[in-house]
Amino acid sequence: MLHYTCKRILGALPVFFGITLFVFFLINMAPATIADAAGGGEASSAAVRAALEANLGLDKPLPLRYVLWLKSLVQGDLGLSYRTGQPVVTMIAQRVVPSLILTGTGVAAAILLGIPLGVMAAWKPKSGWGKLAGGLTLLSFSAPGFFLCVLAIFLFSVVLGWLPAAGMYSAGGGGSVGDLLLHLILPAGVVCLSSLGNLVRQTASACGEVLGEDYIRTARAKGLPEWAVVWKHGFRTALLPVVTTILNHIPHIIGGSLIVERIFGWPGMGSLLFTSVSSRDYTVIMGLTVVIALTVLATGILMDLVYRLADPGVGWGGEAR
Amino acid sequence: MEKKRSVFGRLAALALAAVLLCSLVLSGCGSQPTGDETQTSDQPQQTAEGVNVNYGLSNPWDSLMPYYSVSGSNYSRIIYDKIYDRLAYVQPDGTCLPRAAEKWESTEDGHAIVFTLNQKAAFHDGTPVTAQHWVETFQLITDPACEILGKTALSCLTGTDDTGAAVAGETLGVEAVDDYTLKLSFKQPTIPEEFLVDKNRDIYVLPTYLLKDIPADQVVESDFWRKPIGSGPCKFVSEVSGSNLVLEANKDYQLGAPGFDTLTITVMDKSNLLTALISGDLDYYAFGGNVSEENKTVAEQAGFTVEEGTTPTNFYELMLNCATIDSVDLRQAINKALDKELLCQQSAGTRGTVTGSSILPDTPYSSPAVTGTYDPAGAEALVAKSGYDGKTFSLACTSQRASLAALVQQDLEAVGIKVEIETVDSATMFAGMSDGTYDMGLASHTPTTLPLWFTASRFTEENNIFHVPDLAPYTEMLSAVNEETDETNRIALVDEFEAYLTEEMPFIPLWFSNALHVHSKTVTGIDYAASSSCNENVWEWVKAQ
Repeated sequence: MLHYTCKRILGALPVFFGITLFVFFLINMAPATIADAAGGGEASSAAVRAALEANLGLDKPLPLRYVLWLKSLVQGDLGLSYRTGQPVVTMIAQRVVPSLILTGTGVAAAILLGIPLGVMAAWKPKSGWGKLAGGLTLLSFSAPGFFLCVLAIFLFSVVLGWLPAAGMYSAGGGGSVGDLLLHLILPAGVVCLSSLGNLVRQTASACGEVLGEDYIRTARAKGLPEWAVVWKHGFRTALLPVVTTILNHIPHIIGGSLIVERIFGWPGMGSLLFTSVSSRDYTVIMGLTVVIALTVLATGILMDLVYRLADPGVGWGGEAR
Repeated sequence: MEKKRSVFGRLAALALAAVLLCSLVLSGCGSQPTGDETQTSDQPQQTAEGVNVNYGLSNPWDSLMPYYSVSGSNYSRIIYDKIYDRLAYVQPDGTCLPRAAEKWESTEDGHAIVFTLNQKAAFHDGTPVTAQHWVETFQLITDPACEILGKTALSCLTGTDDTGAAVAGETLGVEAVDDYTLKLSFKQPTIPEEFLVDKNRDIYVLPTYLLKDIPADQVVESDFWRKPIGSGPCKFVSEVSGSNLVLEANKDYQLGAPGFDTLTITVMDKSNLLTALISGDLDYYAFGGNVSEENKTVAEQAGFTVEEGTTPTNFYELMLNCATIDSVDLRQAINKALDKELLCQQSAGTRGTVTGSSILPDTPYSSPAVTGTYDPAGAEALVAKSGYDGKTFSLACTSQRASLAALVQQDLEAVGIKVEIETVDSATMFAGMSDGTYDMGLASHTPTTLPLWFTASRFTEENNIFHVPDLAPYTEMLSAVNEETDETNRIALVDEFEAYLTEEMPFIPLWFSNALHVHSKTVTGIDYAASSSCNENVWEWVKAQ
């Protein structure tokens, strides 16, 4: 297992550097730089542009800039933000926890709601639970995130006045957990609803296949209670594709939800990415790329390990036994 | 059946409990630290007690170093305005009121302005602000070793070059006459109010005694800006860069103590500002609680007072690339083909005034300039005269102005000019106009009362955004206006320049529009209109407990 893990990590390294190279050149191909954005939408003079480019090192050739960035990265330095002058590591560190709180809660809620609903949709598709699962899946797939955000704010903040419309804490709320939870309900609800459809569908599909198998019929014939047949024998076997779907959410949890964070004024990674892209803050974009790429690659390795641990039929060399 | 129900009831209860537990665990990670309130923390710090003003902003600020705003945007200026002090408080009609300076007057030759500083002004650590601090601030900013963008604001002073860097061997045009008298000397005659309208928003006094040990080339990157000390009406408490800023009222501010304890600034999407105000999550949002025409009714139905500003805060223009649209007849045809009234109505409802000039209406320099009357037949004739070959021109605009661009396209195609719209972001549009990628661009700007606020920076070798082939006539006329101190003569020179612009048509002025301000229900004393000049009278704001 250790050998396999090391092999996978080594295999992921070129992919990681490939991603950084691709993103670095891609963002530099964008039609304007931070120097063009200087002036706040007004025309910036050539002198200001030139001074800024020299200050930020944008006047150097692109390959050299990538090599310099890579050199800093290897030394554990993600550089300074072009926009704020603050260390990128500090800026990202400030945003990771809020993103984890928001998307972590939203995805956790989606998992805890989506799996039972998915099982129910496969087991009793005509029941109220099945119809509820179908309705929520349809809503999740068809309603865009920004629409859900605006709808949630309109209903729960403006019309009913129950929940805050923005921010992570109330000013003067003392930063209490209760205050945070209150602010969390709407954005996390939107994240939950956005993720729910996929989870319900995957779970229902996996369970649907399993529940038609012969051994399930045998379990029923043995007189086992129906819930035990479904949950103990059916769901456990169907768990692997569901786990894959859940693990696929990990990069999303780390990377934050761009639209939800932006609309709700949540200080997470998604809103940082939005700001950085708008202002062409390349160092922060690259810093976020590093974090997200590492998370995606680590998740991939983790998924492989889980598969191999869960399915003895797949060996550590990758061959079927 | 009952058993099944109880099983799923238990499952549902377990699921809810697990979500709650997850939230609590994660929330615990995010609970706010206590301790040193002046430090930038991982999470915003709040004051548990006291009166808080919740302030919304739709875009983030840059570094808290006020002379190093990379974006140079008003979103940064409106933050600096709170932490640092400026010489004056400028209103959109050009009126300048005292702030760090109590009064000012021009010297006899018009080449210098003498400011009398407020003796009660003090930095947040209690150190009195003197003229020497202003002198040292200007010396630091103009130091060639100090790689700072804001030095361009000081390029009007004697002893600096065009970039604002001090010239070796020359005396910098800033002098502390005594502790509370500051004298600024200029390269050309300067009217105090014009200087303030133009530069006040970019000039701040810094606590130079706290920066003296930092080499000039390292000032920008100094940790000082992570927990800055200024002399403005609010003190820095904490920041999550680009997302949340907590400030504390400076109760010793020379113009009065703000009527609140803390000011919490949160960045959120523009679409959520009004709803957050209605739901009570915000007390006010920048700039001046602006609201669009279609959202005016929403605000009024929610019980808010919506007031129209009295001075225009937006100027719309159609930028032209004179290198690709090289025929004056064709540019004139474009001007005649546009139904500006309809475009203005679409954009600003009844709050807009069609214009033929970039000069703010109702100022001494404004004149009943030709507004480019809508004349499609005349435009068609000019198109024919220009020898237009049917080329398709590109028209760049931001997504917010896509519908306006479509109307422009419709007007131009009606007279036979083909246009293709490219929706891009603001930076791309300006970069594309500068490098000649686009033929036209639809843009808006915040005007000032200065006659050359728009034109002065757009007809230079460094920034020839309209790609005018021969800049000489423009630069000569601009210099003549700048060097003239007699108002009557100056008005005549401005008129001459405007006539030349109308003839050459390097850009097409479209309209001015007034802002709509949603009044706060919880904070009184807000000068809504002044927000467009990037200053806010927070020392007069009062929020009831």
